[in-house]
Amino acid sequence: MAMFSQNPVLNGPNYSFAEVPKDAVDGLREHRFNPYTDNGGSTLAIAGADFAIMAGDTRLTSGYSINTRYAPKVFKIGGTTSSQDDANLLLSVVGYAADGEALQERLDAICKMYRYRHGKPMSVSACAKRLSTIMYQKRFFPYYVYAILGGLDEDGRGAVYSYDPVGSFEREQCRAGGAAASLIMPFLDNQVNFKNQYVPGTGVGHELKERERLPLPRNEVEVLVKDAFDSAVERHIEVGDGLQIMIITKDGIEEKVLPLKRD
Amino acid sequence: MDHRPQAWGRPRDDVYGAYDASYLQANGPNQHTQSPIVTGTSVVAMKFKDGVVMAADNLASYGSLARFTDVKRIRTFADTSIIGFGGDVSDMQYLDRHLTELGIDEAYQSEAGHTLNARNLHKYLSNLLYNRRSKFDPLWNHLLVAGLDEESRPFLAAADLLGTTFTSPSLATGFGGMLAQPIMRRYVPDEAAVAGVSRDQAVEVIRECMKVLFYRDARSLDSYSLAIVTKDGVELRENEKLEQQSWAFADRIKGYGTQTV
Amino acid sequence: MSSPFSINGGACVAMVGKDCVAIACDLRLGLQALTVSNNFPKIFQYGDVFLGLTGLATDVSTVSDLFRYKVNMYRLREERNIAPSTFANLVSSSLYERRFGPYFVSPVVAGLDPKSGRPFICGFDSIGCIDFAKDFIVSGTASEQLFGMCESLWEPDLGPDDLFETISQALLSAVDRDALSGWGAHVYIVEKDKVTKRLLKGRQD
Repeated sequence: MAMFSQNPVLNGPNYSFAEVPKDAVDGLREHRFNPYTDNGGSTLAIAGADFAIMAGDTRLTSGYSINTRYAPKVFKIGGTTSSQDDANLLLSVVGYAADGEALQERLDAICKMYRYRHGKPMSVSACAKRLSTIMYQKRFFPYYVYAILGGLDEDGRGAVYSYDPVGSFEREQCRAGGAAASLIMPFLDNQVNFKNQYVPGTGVGHELKERERLPLPRNEVEVLVKDAFDSAVERHIEVGDGLQIMIITKDGIEEKVLPLKRD
Repeated sequence: MDHRPQAWGRPRDDVYGAYDASYLQANGPNQHTQSPIVTGTSVVAMKFKDGVVMAADNLASYGSLARFTDVKRIRTFADTSIIGFGGDVSDMQYLDRHLTELGIDEAYQSEAGHTLNARNLHKYLSNLLYNRRSKFDPLWNHLLVAGLDEESRPFLAAADLLGTTFTSPSLATGFGGMLAQPIMRRYVPDEAAVAGVSRDQAVEVIRECMKVLFYRDARSLDSYSLAIVTKDGVELRENEKLEQQSWAFADRIKGYGTQTV
Repeated sequence: MSSPFSINGGACVAMVGKDCVAIACDLRLGLQALTVSNNFPKIFQYGDVFLGLTGLATDVSTVSDLFRYKVNMYRLREERNIAPSTFANLVSSSLYERRFGPYFVSPVVAGLDPKSGRPFICGFDSIGCIDFAKDFIVSGTASEQLFGMCESLWEPDLGPDDLFETISQALLSAVDRDALSGWGAHVYIVEKDKVTKRLLKGRQD
C-alpha cells in the first residue's frame, strides 16, 4: 500500500526528488511554492587604471536543460534612452534570471530619473550605494542575484563594486560571481593581484618580498578574462556558449561577444 | 522520463511540483495555486526566414487521465502575435480572458490600430507572471510568445511561472525541451541560421517534432494546433492530425530502448 | 557542513609533467571552523608511489596505515616495489570492499611507472571509482578552486622546476579561497631516481 500512497517507503523504490506530496490536512497550511530558481552562469569584473571590464557567459539553464545560448548578463545602466548609447555604468547579474532582470530594470529606471532631475549622469559611487539600498529593501524576500557594478570613478579610474544578494557591498579590484565563482576567483587573486607571487632571492620564508602590484594593461586583462572563462567552461556544466565582454573607458562602452564551447 | 512506478500517471513533480491533495477541501481559507490540476503538455516553436511557426496539441490532462481532448492551447493576439500555453489550463483560461480584455482596451485606446507587438506582449506577460510569483500566487504556466518585433523581424520568447524569460531561434516547453529542441536546433542552431529556413521547412520540422512528442510523451495527443505568424498576419489551424505515423519500431523496443536482449 | 568530507578540511592535487609528476597537499587539520593543527600532511609515500588522502581525518589516518600494511605485504610476497598502476587498483578494490560503509576519503595516487618511467596519476571517489587523468587530479574541500587554478595554469610537458612552480601556485591560491584548507603545504616532485620534497609556508590564517 505504501507503494501507492505517495509516501516514501523504506527499502523500496522512491522519488529521487525531495518534495514528496503531502496528504490533505485541515486548516492553514504553509505555502510550498518555491519562488526561486537558479539559472546558472558566471560573471567576472576587473578594474584597470583607466578602464573597467565586465564579462559574463551567455548560457541560461534550468536544471540540466539549456534554455538559450544567448541571454546577456551584463547590462548598460543609466543612459538617456532605451538604446543606452550614453550609459556610464555597467551592471552584471547572475543567479535567478528573473530577479536579475527586475533588479537591472529598477536600477536603470532610478539612474534615468537621477539624470533627468539633476541633468548629469549618476556617479559610480552614488549608484553603488543606491544599489545596496535597493537590494537591502528586499532583505526578507531578497533578489536572488550576485550583482557587480562597474564604471569609472571621479578620478577616471576603473571601479568595480560587488554585492551579495541582500546588498552588502565592497569596492574591489576584481571579482568573479555565479556558478563558477569559486573556480575563477583564486585565478584572479593569482593573476590580477599577484597573490602568492614573490620576487626570487629577496629573502627566506615570510621575509620574501611580494611581487609589486601594478595595474594590468587592457589587452592583458582581456586575455585573462577569456582564459578564466575557457577554464570555467571546461569544468562547469552551467557555463558556456558565449562570452559577453563590456569595456568601459572615458570614450564610452565597447561590447563584444566571443564564442565559448557549447557542449 | 521517470522510471519509478509510483510516479507514473502523474504530472512530473520536478516540472509541475508535487500534487497537492488539499485543494479538494470545500471550505477554508483562500488558497493560492500550489500545483497545477488540469494541464497541457509541450508547446514547440521555431523561427524561419520571415516569421515563426508554433504548435501545441489539443489535450488537457487531469493527472494521467486524458480529460479534455479538444482544448486549443494557442491563441492569437491582435492578429499579429500568438501565444502558446503549457501548464495549468485554468490559469491559461484566466490569462486568455485577461488578454482578450487587454486587446479590446488597446484597440480602443490607439487610433492607428494595435500598438502592442510581440515583444511588448511578451514583456507584459512576463511582468504579469513575475508579479504573481512575487505575491506567492503564481500562474502555473510556461508560455511561448511569437510574432514580429518593432523592426518586423521574427520574434520568439518564453516566460514561465517564476517570471524567467528568454529568447532563442527555437523554443519548447516541458517535454519538448528534451525531445523537440534537439531536433529544431539542427535547423536553427543560432540566430544567423534563421534566414536560411523557409516557411515550408519550418512547418515540416515542427510537424516532425509533434510526431516525436506523440511517440514518447504519454500526456500528448495526435490532434494539435499549428500557428504560423508572418507580416501578413496569423494563420491558425486548430485541428491538425499527425500524419504518416510509423509504429513499426515499437515491437522492437525492449526496456527503455537501448536494451538488445 | 556536517558532511564527513568537510569536517576536518584539506586539499590535495597531483599533476603530470615531462618525465615527472608532482603531488601536493595542505597541512591544516580542523574541527569545522576551528583549526586544531597546522602540521597534518595528507601525502603518504609507499616505496615509489605517493598517495594523497583528503576527507575525514580519522579515515585519512586509518586508510594510510591500511595501505602501508598492504604495500608492505605486497613487497614481502613479490620482493619488489609496487607500481603506481597496481597500487591504484589496490586502492580501488580496497575501497569498494567497503561499498556500503565507505571510508570518507578522496584519494589521489601519483608516481612514475617503474618499467617505462611514464608519469602516472589518478584519483578516486570514496567507493573506489578510478579517474585516470592525463593532466591533473584534485581532491578535498578546495577542489572547485583547484579545478579553476589547474585548468588555467597547467600545460603539457612541464619540466620539474616549472611543474613545481605551477602546482605550488595552484595549491596556494586555491587554499587561500577555502576557509577549511591552507596553513602551509607539502610539495613532492617525483623524477626518475629523485624525489624532491619542499615545505611551503603559505598564509597562516
